Amino acid sequence: MTKYNHNMTRRKFLKMAATGTALGVAGRPSFSFAKEEYDLVVTSGDPAAATKKALEALGGISRFVKKGQRVALKPNMSFARTPDFGATTHPLVVAAVAQECIQAGANRVLILDHTLHRAELCLERSGIREACKNISGAHVQAFQERKFFKEINIPQGKVLNRVEVIQEVLECDLLINIPVAKSHSATGVSLGLKGLMGLIWDRESFHSRININQALSDLATVIKPQLTIIDATRALTSGGPGGPGEVKKPNLIIAGTDPVAVDSYGVTIVPWYGQNFKGRQVEHLLIAHQRGLGKIDTDQLKIYRG
Amino acid sequence: MRIIVQAISLFLFSLFLFFATYKLPDWFPADIYLRLDPLLSLNAIFAAREIIGRSLWALVTVVATLFIGRFFCAYVCPMGVSIDFLDPLLFKRKKQKSLTIESSLRKTKYFLLIVFIMAAITGLSLAFLMDPIALLTRFYTFFLYPLAITLINLFLDLMRPLFKGLGWVSLSHLHIFQPVFYMSAITLLIFGGIIALNRIAPRFWCRYLCPLGAMLSLISPLGIFKRKVSEECNECMKCQKNCPMGAIPEDPTKTRLRECFQCRTCVKVCPQNAITFPASLSIGGEYSKIDLSRRGFIYSVAGGLGVGFLATQTPFTPLQGKHDLIRPPGAIPETEFLRTCIRCGECMKSCLTNTLQPCLWESGFSGLWTPKMDLRLAPCDQNCNVCGKVCPTQAIRSVSLEEKNHAKVGTAILLKEKCLVWAQNKICLICDEICPYNAIVFRPVEGFRRPFVIASKCNGCGFCEQRCPVLGESAIVVVPDGEIRLKEGSYVTEAKKLQLEFKADPGDDKFILEESGFKVESGKKEEKKPQPQKPKGFLQ
Repeated sequence: MTKYNHNMTRRKFLKMAATGTALGVAGRPSFSFAKEEYDLVVTSGDPAAATKKALEALGGISRFVKKGQRVALKPNMSFARTPDFGATTHPLVVAAVAQECIQAGANRVLILDHTLHRAELCLERSGIREACKNISGAHVQAFQERKFFKEINIPQGKVLNRVEVIQEVLECDLLINIPVAKSHSATGVSLGLKGLMGLIWDRESFHSRININQALSDLATVIKPQLTIIDATRALTSGGPGGPGEVKKPNLIIAGTDPVAVDSYGVTIVPWYGQNFKGRQVEHLLIAHQRGLGKIDTDQLKIYRG
Repeated sequence: MRIIVQAISLFLFSLFLFFATYKLPDWFPADIYLRLDPLLSLNAIFAAREIIGRSLWALVTVVATLFIGRFFCAYVCPMGVSIDFLDPLLFKRKKQKSLTIESSLRKTKYFLLIVFIMAAITGLSLAFLMDPIALLTRFYTFFLYPLAITLINLFLDLMRPLFKGLGWVSLSHLHIFQPVFYMSAITLLIFGGIIALNRIAPRFWCRYLCPLGAMLSLISPLGIFKRKVSEECNECMKCQKNCPMGAIPEDPTKTRLRECFQCRTCVKVCPQNAITFPASLSIGGEYSKIDLSRRGFIYSVAGGLGVGFLATQTPFTPLQGKHDLIRPPGAIPETEFLRTCIRCGECMKSCLTNTLQPCLWESGFSGLWTPKMDLRLAPCDQNCNVCGKVCPTQAIRSVSLEEKNHAKVGTAILLKEKCLVWAQNKICLICDEICPYNAIVFRPVEGFRRPFVIASKCNGCGFCEQRCPVLGESAIVVVPDGEIRLKEGSYVTEAKKLQLEFKADPGDDKFILEESGFKVESGKKEEKKPQPQKPKGFLQ
């Protein structure tokens, strides 16, 4: 695992650098306070470093994670594919977030998904289990049994009135969504909002019975991740969501608290299927925006770039 | 001592079977018990008319039996162990009744052996019906293994609140995949029947019915260890009453050598300590002859040939070339496959996704219990090649992962009347989403982007068929058309020759905006429907 070792040293270096800056400039509180004004944070670099930078720019993970909390991370690890396919979240991005949560005092970090392929294979091939195995307090878990899901009501649901959600997600104190940026042959793109579909039991009905774009916004009214971090270190720009397809390397991490805004920015970073789009052109994002779930016009957002 | 050896043997049998699953290391012979079985090996070699490498392992058993005698039944055979261990649990042994028809019943196993061998000579693999190792492997696969998983999951469910309370995160979410099989009830009934026969006489199965026992008993009198009774014998007949095989005739100093499997129960019970098993080279006497009547012999030869004839002279045989079943990847050509497969069920046990299921009558009598892929139930995982690795007769070839993924099992076809996109203009993409090879592409037709199968990219893995959200038969089904069944040689080479490509590349989704690839007849009076310019999910 030389790959990870390399990143570990880089991570250490960055940590030292960050601490140095914090001490040297003005001390941490005011530093993080200043960053809170941003609607959106976009950082670049290699996966772990860019992730840490993004969290730092948001004001540090401690803005979200309080001591003793139970945190759920929702990466995309739905496919038994290696990271280079771009169909799953980069393991080092997931590990970096998990690590930060634990360091901020989280009691437990559960990294979860309802996988499409066989669970063991997804955990194995996505590399996420391997990347997180040394983080004590972090557990990688795939849910493929209905008994681990619990039904909830969607009071504002238009096409979806009830939905079965992974119980752990309902019971946790904090949900962080860590989707990978990819194309999707039904919804155009699969980013944060689409990624939430990985937390429910019956996904098939979204395709067969009800309008998926409407259903996704219904879902977004009840499952509200406090933080969304898009892993755009790679972007599967065609052939999504499962791949194989064209994988581009924007080397970006996009993070923010407004799920629509984060996704909307994510739409603009690469051409999808060879064509440039805006957030407004993605039906499920537009519907979510119109229902007041978040901002969609990225030019009106205050964006930190680093 | 014998009980310990037996327990170890049963444990090993279970252990080998337990490990027959994804990721089985290449060097681990999970099918070793089946390979060591000379009846199954002979059956496969005769029926396939070919020397099968793995089947030659059975020579180990043959040589050992020639040398030692019929020890296999008493010490190794896991069916024998099951019978011995279950016997005292289930039956209260009353005074042993002497069966009046004893001696004629004993012949049954030889007749059965002849029937199976004759059937094999006609090309019908039939020994699986009664071979103890195949029977037990099936019983474990179809009944015991799913039951064990159910019990483990039940236990986990019961303990879940405790695990949760203790904060054991992984354990509190642990659930073991529950395999299910067709025909598990039949398998249970057969095994139950074998055990129930012990009520009539101990080791009833081994004494009278087991064709493997018959085969070993034919060569056992050459073994060097033979029962010997000294002068001390006072003819108390204790040994005769206790012999589980009824191998001691009226004269207790004599032994039916073919029946004696050297369990040494007689040594233990003899009050005079008159019995020993010394090494001796003599081929012992009148009790080592088999008295198969000529008539019985002829009947069983005729029976075997007759069954073989009946099973092969049916429309199923010519239809083998047009069969409707999806066989596991790496399965040799259908006719050879049916002849070589010994129906042990090991491939179905090892199948990671549970797609391999036993056939009932889909390909007639000669296809009973052969593996088929039930792709509506589960797909074939592209990272797994275990079924070939564990096949004791290589009816499914053991090949590398790359080769296995090129061993195309069929081709997906779209049933447009059922497909939600074609028939109802719904936004469904599940087949495309799940396809590992991008063999499904969306092209604009009549104002909607609709799925198409690129046959040259489909290896029949069945993810699409399994996931299709319509009820009942899937709107996209894998048919055997285009399957690659090779007896030898490389699947990769063959696939290349056929210009197939099962590879992770973007497919023509990449070009989808530039050209539709689908020509709709335009002009005339037809209303021209606008072709979508954007991929699905994007607005204009």
